[in-house]
Amino acid sequence: MSSDIILVIVVGTALAFDFTNGFHDTANVVATSISTRAASPQVAIAFAALLNFAGAFISISVAATVANDVVNAGAITPTVVFAGLIGAIAWNLITWYFGLPSSSSHALIGGVVGSAVVASGFDAVIADGVIGKVLIPAVIAPLLAFVVAGIGIGLVYRIVGRQRPGTVTRGFRYGQIVSGGLLALAHGTNDAQKTMGIITLALIANGTLAADADPPFWVIASAATAIALGTYSGGWRIIRTTGTRIIKMDAAQGYSAQGAGAAVILSSTHFGFPLSTTHVINGGVMGAGAGKRVSAVRWGVAGNIFVAWLLTLPAAAAIGGATYGVTRIFGTGALGPALVTVAALALVALAFARRSQQGAPVPAG
Amino acid sequence: MLAVVVETKELLETAAASLVAGVGITVIFSIAIWGAARFVDLSRGERPVAAAGAALVGGLALAATLAAVAVGIVVMASG
Repeated sequence: MSSDIILVIVVGTALAFDFTNGFHDTANVVATSISTRAASPQVAIAFAALLNFAGAFISISVAATVANDVVNAGAITPTVVFAGLIGAIAWNLITWYFGLPSSSSHALIGGVVGSAVVASGFDAVIADGVIGKVLIPAVIAPLLAFVVAGIGIGLVYRIVGRQRPGTVTRGFRYGQIVSGGLLALAHGTNDAQKTMGIITLALIANGTLAADADPPFWVIASAATAIALGTYSGGWRIIRTTGTRIIKMDAAQGYSAQGAGAAVILSSTHFGFPLSTTHVINGGVMGAGAGKRVSAVRWGVAGNIFVAWLLTLPAAAAIGGATYGVTRIFGTGALGPALVTVAALALVALAFARRSQQGAPVPAG
Repeated sequence: MLAVVVETKELLETAAASLVAGVGITVIFSIAIWGAARFVDLSRGERPVAAAGAALVGGLALAATLAAVAVGIVVMASG
């Protein structure tokens, strides 16, 4: 009975994480479309939410990686998964509060690794999986998006540079509807799968599913719904950072950045790499800026984002580990997770209240 | 040790697919826009044959872009 209550709390927390993931990562998907005026904010966000939902049903390769290749299922309990999720949600909200586009994916993996280490020691972590499927792709993916967008925008300017700006700008704004849609689809399939993977891990740990089982349909559908609702709610503070503060984009740069991001995420999803969509699209935005003129990129802002990236894994791991420690004070039953959930909800309400007192949502640049 | 841990083949294939798809679709769509822009200019200059040629190039490039996007989604979904 107690383990079932914990499982219900874990599933609810995982879906809450998925919501914050969509909320936090809306910027990745729509910022370039909004900043180049290819679409109005409301239309871009609604379109992205719809395609996020659809994307979640496309593949389960990444879910399998998260469920099987990051931590040993034998050392995992639902409480470990719960503590990891709290670490990820807390870091997502901290970076949202300060307007930094950090990685929800790395927060999730960091949180789960941190709580697993506190629960069972370092043997609980599958080092090969974390290094080979998470850390190395984490370094390569944004660089790849940077290179693809940089080469792409260089060739674009060679091809259309002497044509009438009006026709070219209109054309790339239309193109951004497709590239933005593709990016939303890619985001939905890669990011929603992480929540599917984490719920599947909890179900396996609880004995509800066999080891190596695929996510059941209700898990896929609920994860798709949660990320789509989060995306529709939007994260305006991060949209401004990604859309206007890194570089001032024209429509061609927006198209190149989104195209590069979508290509990298979709290719990686095919091979089951749980990428950070945040890292990838920001790499694409910087590449599209540097491809036109290196000084066009506001490297100071890019540096702040880079620092947030570096901090994400250890910070989420520390919060996840600490959360697990707190839950164990109350024993191995459902009381610890229930109390932590109540405290977390109170802190989230406080953060939203403070943020709403400090100003209205940031208008699109 | 690192070579064993890192899935080199998958990573290289990811990099190659990203490069080809990302740059390829951007270039093909740019050609579509080039065709549209040339069509507008040549039509105003009363050169209908050249304008039709530019429109054809643009149309083919647009069709190729949409086909490439569809193929990309199908390939990814098969993973």
